[in-house]
Amino acid sequence: MDTAEFIKRLAADLQPVRPLRPPWARALLWLGLALLYVAAIVWRKSMINEASQVAGNARFLAEQAATLATAMTAAIAAFCSIIPGFDRRVLLLPVVPLGLWLASVGLGCVQDWLQRGADGLTLRADWDCLPSAIVMGIVPSVMLVIMLRKGAPLLPRVSLALGALAVASVANLGLQLAHARDASIMVLVWHLGAVAVWVAIGGWLGAFVLGRRHASSVR
Amino acid sequence: MGRTIGQEQNLAALMRAAQGGDREAYAALLSTLAPLVGQAVRQRFGFLQPQDIDDLVQDILLSLHASRATYDPARPFLPWLMAIARNRMADSARRYVRRAAHEVPSEHPPETFPAEDANVSASGYGDVEALARAMTQLPRGQRQAIEMMKLREMSLKEAAAATGTSVGALKVSVHRGMQALRKAMSTTD
Repeated sequence: MDTAEFIKRLAADLQPVRPLRPPWARALLWLGLALLYVAAIVWRKSMINEASQVAGNARFLAEQAATLATAMTAAIAAFCSIIPGFDRRVLLLPVVPLGLWLASVGLGCVQDWLQRGADGLTLRADWDCLPSAIVMGIVPSVMLVIMLRKGAPLLPRVSLALGALAVASVANLGLQLAHARDASIMVLVWHLGAVAVWVAIGGWLGAFVLGRRHASSVR
Repeated sequence: MGRTIGQEQNLAALMRAAQGGDREAYAALLSTLAPLVGQAVRQRFGFLQPQDIDDLVQDILLSLHASRATYDPARPFLPWLMAIARNRMADSARRYVRRAAHEVPSEHPPETFPAEDANVSASGYGDVEALARAMTQLPRGQRQAIEMMKLREMSLKEAAAATGTSVGALKVSVHRGMQALRKAMSTTD
């Protein structure tokens, strides 16, 4: 098709659009809604069991703060990645909080080992929290995908992997309040393992979920 | 794509108007951008045929169209546009490399079967003039459908959008047109 004719058709297809809010504002909006949703689940199921006991545990609080910071920075990076011309260094934002989160859990493993010896590092299968984790992740995932699809799929795999990291972090935050306090090795393997799997799935499905969408009536 | 500040501001103003739904401003913006984008594409893919360059330019404009909500009116326009253009050019380069990796250049297509029917290309495509005459005898809708789908290799969706008819109606037109052409060509033989 001739480019002049093509432009005529694109212009005829034009609908008004509202410019997207800045990435940090969209990330804040998403995080606020996701936290409300997770809090509602935790509250409804009366799942806060040891929150009062762990409130004074500095390492636990630092771990949760790092988890929340990972969710926020991953969401900001994901929303930046769908804006043409963004500074690619933003993609590294979650590295520091994620590192702190890992370090905190790793420190917990060392403390458990020092206190209880080999028993402190015993790993067991714990599938009980899987349904809660899935329920906590569903709505934030759907919201995030809808919001990401409003942008440009410049790096769809990276965008969805970052989004998955944000979702998994929020779900983890809920889970930490939702069930009996686990040994750090359990958190490291099951919780952070699940985060890694979820991020990998996000990266794998990125091109499919956020793939390029064109005005089909134009061409 | 060296531009003055005035031109940059003018483009940004047109884009803001386009986000508000102003079709004239949008057409003016795209008409201004098409040669700029074409120049950027030619600089990077000078080896492409003019038709391929046009296709890539249209692809970039289409991506701009789909992503127009991501433009922040408070920010410069050209860096935003060029990020889209670079992304589409990179996609195009990847497609080109993939295609080239799977293509095997061959001057003499191997003959697969000795039977004449299986080697139509070796004996040409039959009476081209008779085919052209038969095409002119087809009803307008059928002729248009065959031209778009068989000669220009457009997809059903593309041809339906171009003709303004439904995909179903287009399928029927192509089917009937091909039947009529077969009949006409067999009488010619």
